[in-house]
Amino acid sequence: MYSISNQLIPDLILLALPFLILIVRLCSKRTTVMPWRIANLGLIATFVMLNMIPLTNSEGAFFLSNWRVDDFGVLMREVFVLSGILGLWLAKDYFDHGADGKPALMHITEFMATLIFATFGGFIVVSACDMLTLFLGLEMATIPMYALTAWNKRDQYGSEAATKYILMGSVATAFELFGFSYLYGFAGSIHFSQIASATSAGTSPLLWIALLFIFCGIGFKLTLFPFYTWAPDVYEGAPTPVTAVLSVTSKATAIAFLVVLLYGPLAPVQDKIVPLVALLACTTLFVGNLGALKQSRLRRFMAYSSIAQAGYIMIALLGPGYISKTAIVYYLFVYTVANYLAFFVFGVIGHYRPESFNSLRGLSKQNTLLAVALAAAMFSLAGIPPLAGFFGKFHLFFSGATAGHYMVVAFAVLNNVLALYYYLQVIKSAWADEPEGELSPIRMVKRQRFVVIALLAATILLGVLPFVSNNVFTGFTF
Amino acid sequence: MTNDVSISYLIFLMPLLTFVVNGLFLGKRSAKGAATFAILCNGVAFAAALFLAVGYFTSGFAPQKAVAFEMPFLKFAEGFVANIGLLVDPLSIMMLVVVTFIAFMVNIYSVGYMRGDRAEGRFFALLSLFSFSMLGLVAATNLFQMFIFWELVGVSSYLLIGFWYHKPSAVSASKQAFILTRFADSFFLLGIVLVSYVAQSFDFFNLNGLTLGAFADQTINLGVMEVSKATALTIGAVLIFTGGWGKSAMFPMHIWLPNAMEGPTPVSSIIHSATMVVAGVYLVARLFPFFAICGNTLTLIMWVGAFTMVFAAVIACTQKDIKRILAYSTLSQLGYMMFALGTCKIGDAVFTTGWTASTFHIFTHAFFKCSLFLIAGSLIHQVHTNDLDAMGGLRKKMPITYVCALISVLAISGIPPFSGFFSKDEIILSAFQGHHYAVFGLAVLTSGLTTFYMFRLFFLAFHGKPRSESVAAGHVHEDFAMTLPIAILAVPALLSGLLAGGLFEHYFVPGKLMVPQLLQLQEAHWIPYVAVGVAVVSLLIAWVLYASPKANINRALDDVNRSSIYKTIYHKFYFDEMYYCVVRQFVIGGIAKVARFIQDYIVEGIVAFVVWFFHALGRLVRTAQSGHLTFYLGTLIVGVILWRFIGHLPF
Repeated sequence: MYSISNQLIPDLILLALPFLILIVRLCSKRTTVMPWRIANLGLIATFVMLNMIPLTNSEGAFFLSNWRVDDFGVLMREVFVLSGILGLWLAKDYFDHGADGKPALMHITEFMATLIFATFGGFIVVSACDMLTLFLGLEMATIPMYALTAWNKRDQYGSEAATKYILMGSVATAFELFGFSYLYGFAGSIHFSQIASATSAGTSPLLWIALLFIFCGIGFKLTLFPFYTWAPDVYEGAPTPVTAVLSVTSKATAIAFLVVLLYGPLAPVQDKIVPLVALLACTTLFVGNLGALKQSRLRRFMAYSSIAQAGYIMIALLGPGYISKTAIVYYLFVYTVANYLAFFVFGVIGHYRPESFNSLRGLSKQNTLLAVALAAAMFSLAGIPPLAGFFGKFHLFFSGATAGHYMVVAFAVLNNVLALYYYLQVIKSAWADEPEGELSPIRMVKRQRFVVIALLAATILLGVLPFVSNNVFTGFTF
Repeated sequence: MTNDVSISYLIFLMPLLTFVVNGLFLGKRSAKGAATFAILCNGVAFAAALFLAVGYFTSGFAPQKAVAFEMPFLKFAEGFVANIGLLVDPLSIMMLVVVTFIAFMVNIYSVGYMRGDRAEGRFFALLSLFSFSMLGLVAATNLFQMFIFWELVGVSSYLLIGFWYHKPSAVSASKQAFILTRFADSFFLLGIVLVSYVAQSFDFFNLNGLTLGAFADQTINLGVMEVSKATALTIGAVLIFTGGWGKSAMFPMHIWLPNAMEGPTPVSSIIHSATMVVAGVYLVARLFPFFAICGNTLTLIMWVGAFTMVFAAVIACTQKDIKRILAYSTLSQLGYMMFALGTCKIGDAVFTTGWTASTFHIFTHAFFKCSLFLIAGSLIHQVHTNDLDAMGGLRKKMPITYVCALISVLAISGIPPFSGFFSKDEIILSAFQGHHYAVFGLAVLTSGLTTFYMFRLFFLAFHGKPRSESVAAGHVHEDFAMTLPIAILAVPALLSGLLAGGLFEHYFVPGKLMVPQLLQLQEAHWIPYVAVGVAVVSLLIAWVLYASPKANINRALDDVNRSSIYKTIYHKFYFDEMYYCVVRQFVIGGIAKVARFIQDYIVEGIVAFVVWFFHALGRLVRTAQSGHLTFYLGTLIVGVILWRFIGHLPF
């Protein structure tokens, strides 16, 4: 029958992992830490195995005829797993004690399983060869997020956020399915290769209607203008680790979805979609930047920041496939690192104070490491060289410029100035503002200290030595 | 050649080491240790730079370019790689020496100036971070490397302006400086993307060897229009220059520089006068052949420089804050350097007097302006105010400082044989040679203004009777750590023009620069006499107004009669008031008022409007985020309709 290729091993591990930890949890005492250990081990193993898959520079390997593993897929899997690991580590402390004025979370095993399912949804999206698998992947990445948002059952804001999220998500899913059905009507098949040959043979209004609805549907998940409205509320209502996962995994899944579609079945009409992509990119990053200008709550601020980041990522989609994919993968790595770094800092602070700008006051005196880490994360998100964020953004812009969209790039680059303004606000709060009254002490557990230092080093080193990430660039020409 | 270069890594390593060691370990434990370590390392860096320079200029290899080391940094495609390296040519060597020397001096000075500050260690760490970034910038072999370090100097400037972050004005000034230069840098980045895409290279050497002819037939789509690649390169050149425009604080992006004086004075002296702000000039000088072929870019550069030069000089005449006067003077001098580069084109032919002059002026200006800032810092440290109102009579109390100040002021005024004379004279000559007579006239006029406001500062600070109690009571003395670098800097301020002139004439000459259609032009020997004449007259005016035995200092410093038209008319009826009336009310009061008006209402008004505009839009976005689910769901529908009609989908 089928021999299991080593390219499938990471996928299988990840698929088995949630079931495994749930079973272990069922078979052992309440206080057991086994599931936590197994989950960590499994995720790290997946990450390591993924790194051992050689990048082949080819069409990719097919399994069971519609499960494809290609270079882009492998690298995106690494992003998903990385985000999953960091998300778990960030979440761990929230199960030990409450934070940001909310009670502690419960049921860590189930939480981990749900999170891993969402991660696996991302895997499905990048492996899909037909519309059905793609849709399944997207839903599998999204539905666990609804549950995760409402994880804190004793927090009414979480429930409210989840309600908003699920209601809007359903509408978006409906849009998407509607688009898919038209695409099927247009091509007569759900398989990518057939759709590709249909689109290259000629277009019809059916195709454009399908595309419009698909973009609107995915616009919801990628928080594009004007479909982003759920994001600030949900990001603020959800538990902090869930917000972090939402802003990375969920966004990465959505962008992977677009990449798979645009450079796969829709490649023949990509140049006709480009104006829409450009408009979406520009409006999104502008609105995101404007919204972030004067915020007082950190998670809400990060929501707008991540809306703007989605706009920046969209710019890469203007370029040709091989540059665009490189840029997106690299940027997602960088974005994951910087975003989680910021969330870890907020998490540490959030355990002792509310997560607001005021709580950052006096941080530089109280805990220099955290203040430095926060500054590095913000500078990286703002795209200041030599931090990693700059090179990521440079690749995105370069991808857009390669296809001649200089006006879009110019608009985005100028918007970066606006972005710098609000990222500096965070740095100012942490470094310049004097604290009001006595500050409660801040302590970090070992894991937090390790992660903060590691992510800080990654933010700096990825920028100072960008060639360490050369494997992203070499052998990556599709 | 390679032997000499082998120690060059020390130049970069030492400041970096200082930053790391002081920042992580030493700074918090022992301020003294941090200071000693910083001075030591920067001294070694300076020695290495000097060694490299001597080796290079005596090797006979000299004005050729060499790349001392280079490694691939970021690969975009095969054969399209951004490198990190060390470029060795006369220009970069000159800058390396200047930067390390100034850094060395300022580090010594800071021992005195920052003594007892609560974050002395951090200060020395950041200062070294700045010197490292600046060195990386001047040694860049390509645009990409330059941009990285360009931003890094911006960051260190941000951190240092806001060093005293308990002062709200310092924090807001640092933010303004950072955001404004970053605004200009976004154009720079765009220019890099455009130019490197068209030319398929980041390398200065390749860019400087371009000819537009090869690009004239190909076209490129810029998103709004289809243009030839030659035009695209010209647009790229202007965009790149915009980066320098902001960094070198040319009008109207100059407003951040005077505000940046909120930082500690050693910072102002190294970053905001001697080194970082000349980065824009350096960029243009570095890419000079490229700018020369790109249409009328040089003319734009010339007018931007010339306008800033006059504008800033006029404002400098009216200021009373000693650091602000120096800041405006820096702007004006940067204008000189910038316009000199722009004059070098007649038709399609290029001559290089302006290029030589500009780089020469970078060199001499670094010494005397750094010295002037250090002196200002010394005065502020003793008198505890920036205000000239409270100074005066410091000549006897601070004799060494007084002599050094005199040397530097004479140097900036362009009086022979002080250093500024040689470079400024050549700048004025280049305007004349390029047939830009209007700019030539402005340059001579500004030369007079420069002398006037510098001597105004000098007389008001050092001459006359003490106007503050601490001076009168004799609490003022010279601090050794602060006076030593001032004294050392006075030597190049006096001699660098005389001694290094030969070096510039020999290595920074026409023929050594890759430009098409090089012109050799006659010198005009009468120009120095005119320039010196104007300077001497202005000096005398300043003396009569502010230092002669009859000078009425109180009236000269009186703020009230400056602003009131009523008093203007009133005082006209007195004969002895006539003089003040003409000079103060009309020349300074009138013209300067126009300049101040442009500054305060037009430039700052536009800035304020932009800030208000974005905040208003931000409010709109936040208001839309009301929390009502019905509204949110509505946006989904609206979005579909919106993108149906404006999404440019072809149906």
